[in-house]
Amino acid sequence: MTDTAVVTRAISAVLACTGAFFFLVGTIGILRLPDFYSRTHAATKCDTVGAGAVLLSLAVLHGLSVDTLKIVAIATFVLLSSPTVGNALARAAYRTGLRPWTRQERSGGEK
Amino acid sequence: MKRASVAALLVLIAIPLLAAMAELPPHGSSETPAYTHVSERYLQRGAQEAGAENIVTDVILNYRGFDTNGEVTVIFTSVVAVAAILLLRDEERTSQERSSTPVSPVLLFIVRTMAPFIALFGMYVILFGHLSPGGGFQGGTILGALVIVSTVVLGPDVAHRMVPAPARPWLQAAAPLTFVTVGLAGLAVTGHYLGFPSGDEWGWVGTLMLVVIEIGIGVGGGTIMASIFWMMEEER
Repeated sequence: MTDTAVVTRAISAVLACTGAFFFLVGTIGILRLPDFYSRTHAATKCDTVGAGAVLLSLAVLHGLSVDTLKIVAIATFVLLSSPTVGNALARAAYRTGLRPWTRQERSGGEK
Repeated sequence: MKRASVAALLVLIAIPLLAAMAELPPHGSSETPAYTHVSERYLQRGAQEAGAENIVTDVILNYRGFDTNGEVTVIFTSVVAVAAILLLRDEERTSQERSSTPVSPVLLFIVRTMAPFIALFGMYVILFGHLSPGGGFQGGTILGALVIVSTVVLGPDVAHRMVPAPARPWLQAAAPLTFVTVGLAGLAVTGHYLGFPSGDEWGWVGTLMLVVIEIGIGVGGGTIMASIFWMMEEER
């Protein structure tokens, strides 16, 4: 293996691990955080940073090609749509009167 | 009396069904006809004799074309049934006011930006169904989802313009109509309903017929999804 190949693979591996880490943290967040707003916050981390980093890692591994262009397109659309969905969900919840969790009312997150 | 006759009818139907079940090969057996020669034939000769590189498309539209023909008719019937149930009573409530919540500018901008790409991807999935995973059902779902998103975010007026009202009944019936048309064309060309020409010289005609059916299923399926959504919206 040449030096560039080693460096490419190393970058790709680091990016893939970063993505996996964000997926793990996001999943734990969905399960453990106290109310809808913070869970939405955690869920969007998976699709933005998690999927973004994994796709970027694939693009780096693949080098310059048509497939890379497709991967970059997918990453762009995921980065556009996922935060928008998070925004729409949180906005809808706020508009319908869901109150954010506070430390004072520990069990009151779902009110 | 009525109950007794219904019960008798059910028993009459159940007896041949149970008898047929007893004749089935054991579950998971590798001796079933599907594993011994049918799938082998599909995999080895499907691409040449059925007109599409994608074996799934070959099976759905060619080998089991009659089944899919019935299937798209069922989907069309579903929209007729929903219309019959939901649109029966409220003819006066056509211009009822929408919810007053303004759409977030973020959502509006992103949907406007991505709509052409979603439409392009839907058409790509429909047209590439004979080469790669995808096809009319899948692509039509993407197009229908686009119309539904537009209804919610951009408002029903914009979305209704995407599927013009005079063409709507025809577009809703597009899937069974194209299927029957292509089936009759096959009858004229090969002498069999849904017969697709194959071989080196006329294979492209068969492929073209498959693509036409895919487009029909896509347009019809998408329109039906959007139509059912609109009817349920008006009902709400």
